[in-house]
Amino acid sequence: MTGLHVLARGDSAYPARLEEIADPPERLWVRGSLPVAPCVAIVGTRRATRYGMGLARQMGRAVAGAGWVVVSGLARGIDGSAHRGCLDGGGPGIAVLGCGIDVWYPPEHQALGEDLAKEGAVVSEYPPGTRPEPWRFPARNRIISGLSAAVVVVEAAEKGGALITARLAAEQGREVFAVPGDVDRKTSVGTNLLIRDGAVPVLGAGDLVEALSLVLGPPRVRQAIDLALDLPRDGATVDEVIEANGGDAAEVLQLLGRMETEGSVRIEADQVFIC
Amino acid sequence: MFAETTSVTMVGAEPRPVRVEAHVGGAKDVFKLSGLPDTAVREAKERVRAAVASSSMSFPARRITVNLAPADLPKGGADYDLPIALGVLGAAGTIPARPVVALGELALDGSVRAGRGALGAAIVASRMGVPCLVADEVASEAASVMGADVVPVRTLAEAVAVVSGEARRRTVEPAHRPRPSAPDLADVRGQPLARRALEVAAAGGHHLFLHGPPGSGKSMLAHRLGGLLPPLTDDEALAAACVWAAAGRTRGVDRTPPFRSPHHTASLAALIGGGTGTVVPGEISLASHGVLFLDELGEFPARSLDALRQPLEEGEVTIARRGMSVNLPAAVQLVAATNPCPCGYAGDRVQACQCSPATLRRYRRRISGPLLDRFDLRVAVRRLSADELQGPTGEPTSAVAPRVEAARKRQAERGALNRDLTRAQLDREPIDGEAGRLLTRAVDRAGLTARGYDRIRRVARTLADLEEVDAIQERHIAEALALRGSW
Repeated sequence: MTGLHVLARGDSAYPARLEEIADPPERLWVRGSLPVAPCVAIVGTRRATRYGMGLARQMGRAVAGAGWVVVSGLARGIDGSAHRGCLDGGGPGIAVLGCGIDVWYPPEHQALGEDLAKEGAVVSEYPPGTRPEPWRFPARNRIISGLSAAVVVVEAAEKGGALITARLAAEQGREVFAVPGDVDRKTSVGTNLLIRDGAVPVLGAGDLVEALSLVLGPPRVRQAIDLALDLPRDGATVDEVIEANGGDAAEVLQLLGRMETEGSVRIEADQVFIC
Repeated sequence: MFAETTSVTMVGAEPRPVRVEAHVGGAKDVFKLSGLPDTAVREAKERVRAAVASSSMSFPARRITVNLAPADLPKGGADYDLPIALGVLGAAGTIPARPVVALGELALDGSVRAGRGALGAAIVASRMGVPCLVADEVASEAASVMGADVVPVRTLAEAVAVVSGEARRRTVEPAHRPRPSAPDLADVRGQPLARRALEVAAAGGHHLFLHGPPGSGKSMLAHRLGGLLPPLTDDEALAAACVWAAAGRTRGVDRTPPFRSPHHTASLAALIGGGTGTVVPGEISLASHGVLFLDELGEFPARSLDALRQPLEEGEVTIARRGMSVNLPAAVQLVAATNPCPCGYAGDRVQACQCSPATLRRYRRRISGPLLDRFDLRVAVRRLSADELQGPTGEPTSAVAPRVEAARKRQAERGALNRDLTRAQLDREPIDGEAGRLLTRAVDRAGLTARGYDRIRRVARTLADLEEVDAIQERHIAEALALRGSW
């Protein structure tokens, strides 16, 4: 079923995993259609760094590419990047809103939400027309973790929604993954705390897929990209790529220009990301 | 009796000859001055009268008429004293009427004071092929004009003696300024991308946009551009000296490309030129044939940035004044630096950015699209880690500058800097088939705009020039695509 519809507990289409949690929503308003594949939540702070957003996008892409569903909250920062990565990787994905499914918040993510509804679903426990209120978002987070088999926190400050989601996930018996970061970086304090308290550290998109395959089964096989360049890591700076490939700036820039035009890498500011 | 000497006035930064025509006749003791003189010029009558008397010569007690021609050019200042005195004495028959260019203010005791337009006087004199009489203090600056016959004079009496052929002329050495050593590229550690961009910018004269957090070396890189540029030609050096002279500064005929970095609080007039009365060249003209560096571009007021657009496009500034408009050169290479966001840390590896998405968007929008379009090269610069700071140094300026000079020479032969190539000119540049196909794919895939398309072609042209290759190759387009950068 597509378009706007509502699912009640007990309906055959109501997500089975959501029934497992302590306080499942009585109803779920849905735009699009809920995918059936295993779900992975990728969440994090709205005030994300470019690095974090790049990583979230790669992870979204990798998870979608492995045939799993990316779940997030359509917020600015990490959430939005994870959704975008999911679409890059061919979807499908689920956005769980803290307002009505006809109310787009933040407004600049309307197009992203509409794309997600085409590839998957945008859902909410609140009836259409419900305004976004700060107190609704923590409640929304239990649905994000409830739908998912695992939750990945990419960047999080010491306090915030992403840590609430992680705590709820742990209570619901979901796997919690976190991306480690510099100990003095504000946007990594939360994820480092999670790791200290038992979350599984993930060291990149490839590592995440590997770790998830232990929980969700083997990933869908995708064609590996054959890169003409030695990329020290996804998100390496152009300077690092030049150094890693012999130091001839002109030659490396030529390769990067070709690869970007082919669509195998993307250069953002001075960072190189694998597409 | 009639006599004529020549002086000079600056129209913008261009010296124009002013004929000082003097007529002495009739019995009435009057002194008339005509030809759009300002107050200081009108007061010349009293200074000239006193200076002649102090020099033990008699001032003709007859009807004296002095006309400054052409009448439509505004004339100001006291620099016309010396030519007026020589004209009057010539017309009175006290000294032979010989064609000279003269410039300088007369003190009441007959000594000659420095004038602002000495450089312009020397240029006019060399064109006319006549001697140029100026005060001692400014003689060596004037003598740096090629082909100028500069005669330094201390007093009106000495000037009279020189014109009469009674005294031996003193000679003067041209001002010699050793080229100050520009900061060297060898000081830049790591940053191969920024280095490459700097070389390409220097080679094609492309405007360069650097963005990155505080302390990432944006301004260090910008200051190293000057040393990479080829020395100015004779004409350029002279034009630059004239602009500086018009701004009341001494630069002399120096081949070092000027480098100017006005602060963002500079007024519009200080930046673009203007001022009350005579037009004073702004920073954009002082930097002509060199580099204009705008640090913290985002902090400049929007109207200053808007005002830069037209001069950048046309290579000159037009300022309208009293029914006439004055053109000043503005052929600058613009280098702009900015933080990535108001707090400075967006995209930084360690420090978290404190700016909200709305603040960030507002900040980015301050640098308007039309101005941003002028920058062919946009480069993100990153703070170096401790390791990189201690890393090896790269090529020094002395290794890169010859490549830049060779590329510039090819452009000079074609008649235009690559920065100034228009779409029509770019369409005529030879391009390899494979290069054209890559460009088409980039338009299809990367959504390149028409302006973006031209920027890629301009930079690719420079890359081909650096290799001294005639047709743009696929590798040049590829590198230009990677250098295009984002903001």
